[in-house]
Amino acid sequence: MTRNFGILPVVVILLLCSAPLAIMYLYLVVDTFSNTPAGSLIPNEFTLEHWRFLIDTSLVGNVWMATFNSLLFAVAMVVIVLTLAATGGYAVSRLNLPFRRFFLAGILVMHAFPAVTLIIGTFLVLNFAGLYNSLIGVIVVKATFTLPFGIWIMKGFYDAVPWEIEMSGVQDGASRFTVWRRLILPQIKPGLVALGAFAFIDGWSEFLLPRILAPATDFQVLSVFLNELSSPDSMTYDFNLFKSVGLFYTLPILLLFIFFQNKLMNIFGGGTKG
Amino acid sequence: MRARPYGLGFAFLGPSLVLLILFFFAPVLLTGVFAFTNMSTATGIGSGYYTVTPSLLRDLKAEGVGQAADELSQGAFVVSPETIEAARAAGVDGRFVDEIAAKLQGRSFENSSEFQRALKDLDSRPRAIRALKLAMDPFTASVLNVRYDTRDAAFSAISAAAPSLDADAVNTVVNRAYTGWVFTPSNFAALVSKPDTWRVVANTIAYVGATLAFNVLVGLFLAIATFYLPRSSASFFNALWLLPRITPVVLYAIMWKWFTWDTGFIAVIARDLGLPSFNYMKGSVASAWTIVILLNGFIGASFGMILFSGSLRAIPMQQLWASEVDGANRWQQITRIILPQMRWPILFVTSYQTLSLLSSYETIWLTTNGGPGNTTTVWALEAFRTALSNYTGNLQYGLGSAMALILVAVGLVLSIAYLFLFKFDDLISSPKIEF
Repeated sequence: MTRNFGILPVVVILLLCSAPLAIMYLYLVVDTFSNTPAGSLIPNEFTLEHWRFLIDTSLVGNVWMATFNSLLFAVAMVVIVLTLAATGGYAVSRLNLPFRRFFLAGILVMHAFPAVTLIIGTFLVLNFAGLYNSLIGVIVVKATFTLPFGIWIMKGFYDAVPWEIEMSGVQDGASRFTVWRRLILPQIKPGLVALGAFAFIDGWSEFLLPRILAPATDFQVLSVFLNELSSPDSMTYDFNLFKSVGLFYTLPILLLFIFFQNKLMNIFGGGTKG
Repeated sequence: MRARPYGLGFAFLGPSLVLLILFFFAPVLLTGVFAFTNMSTATGIGSGYYTVTPSLLRDLKAEGVGQAADELSQGAFVVSPETIEAARAAGVDGRFVDEIAAKLQGRSFENSSEFQRALKDLDSRPRAIRALKLAMDPFTASVLNVRYDTRDAAFSAISAAAPSLDADAVNTVVNRAYTGWVFTPSNFAALVSKPDTWRVVANTIAYVGATLAFNVLVGLFLAIATFYLPRSSASFFNALWLLPRITPVVLYAIMWKWFTWDTGFIAVIARDLGLPSFNYMKGSVASAWTIVILLNGFIGASFGMILFSGSLRAIPMQQLWASEVDGANRWQQITRIILPQMRWPILFVTSYQTLSLLSSYETIWLTTNGGPGNTTTVWALEAFRTALSNYTGNLQYGLGSAMALILVAVGLVLSIAYLFLFKFDDLISSPKIEF
């Protein structure tokens, strides 16, 4: 592409638009390592005191317990979503099903449907099922909400696998199940990795469902922990501390995102966030 | 050709189907069902029981069913096998009870003086008036604060306590005495008549419209601008704008709070510039709205950016080169070549974002929480607060479900509509099952 047009005005406008974001993310990192005198914006000393919450549980409560709960939540999400999407996606993509169009249409509508509007109904279902206020209940609900998306993504990956691979497997006498496990699954590994990373990030960031469906404190996940910490009626309002805990909370998924960036970008466009 | 077995297909799809039915369809159904009930914290989620409380009697009186209320609050006296047993158990003189049983069995008295007169006619009555009064107590058929588990029990008790009431009046009282939830269409009527509702509807339209415009315009601008930039700076901006999307919403809300707090970034800058300095998130309606729209707009803009960048790269480069040879400037390239080919992506982003903005309230809940006052409350937030989180402590599941049901219906219609718009049929075409 030729460069016969001025780029500067565009860059200036871009910078202006991006300024709030750049400032917020810059200060997110800077503030966790420094102190700023009141009424100023320039930090005047380097300090690690905002990170003391990692070793001193009296400051904000037990952050490691919350981290463990978040990890449990996210890993459970990955396991459930990957297993069910890998099998369900194969079923709607390749296996013989009655009412296939009906299932596909249903999954597609559920994928487009904003599941968050169901939270009141879900609350009632969990109450009737006795799963309200339990980690299992939240995990299952969150996994179910992610499932239509997962099945749809996996269907896409299965659709791209050449039929000839399956045909030759069946020709050689393997059952459909063996064909799926030995021949097809290795083919869709990139899809599994992408969906797994997505499910982990999604589970780790989830705030609404654990906060509403399991408000008891025994299995607080990090998002709820951070929100409680920064609620307006907490004793001291210390943004540097909130940012440190927040950064600690966000780092794993930032790293994960950078690591799987290319794979994730393929499926991120259809994500669930507004 | 032999019959094709369905077994493996169902085995593979089955577990997903079970979960989806339990936690996707059941909530939809329950939202629909409970939208037509008055379920709340007060009624409980399970089944209720029947009880007449003093406050219910006050309500009945206020509603003009005064006769029933008076009779029920006085209580009546009934001579029945049960009350006779109760009298014996209470230690009333055995001969007196036998005489009451023999002479007054099956009768009821509307008030204590009537019953007392009847008792005074009996031979074996106690001489002391105090003892007589004590003997009367077990015969009272008061229903106040007594808990009845079935409708029949409540009905017979109430008609015994207020013998002069006809069946219709008793039924009215029984219905009102029920503590559980009942089916009622009144939620929707209540929504329509509440002035707050229309305020919230207007807020929702403003919120969705403004945020959507921001998302699409900024997304488009970002995609086109980074398209023309050198690769390195383009990827810097792409990464920066992607951050809000990856950042967990709780931290994102904290960052915005810091940015707009009394002592936060904007306030300090504004003070240094001599502008009014206050909490921009909660201090004024206009600033609260700006923050809410920007906050959600920044998340959504990256969605547009990703999609638009993708479809921009699909435009054949030759068209742009040819236009440059013909002397077109960038603006002409954008309006004549790029935008016309972006029609479908723009439509897609618009419809997708409409749906997710209509239903999302997480960010608003975590930041302004609908404030100041109720000025930034949107429909989804109001439904959630009515049903699951309010300060009065009486969570109105029924009314909240009614509000959510409207969202669910809008969501269903929109998602189906836009799937048809985007060549839905191609997406669900059958695969080649050859054996």
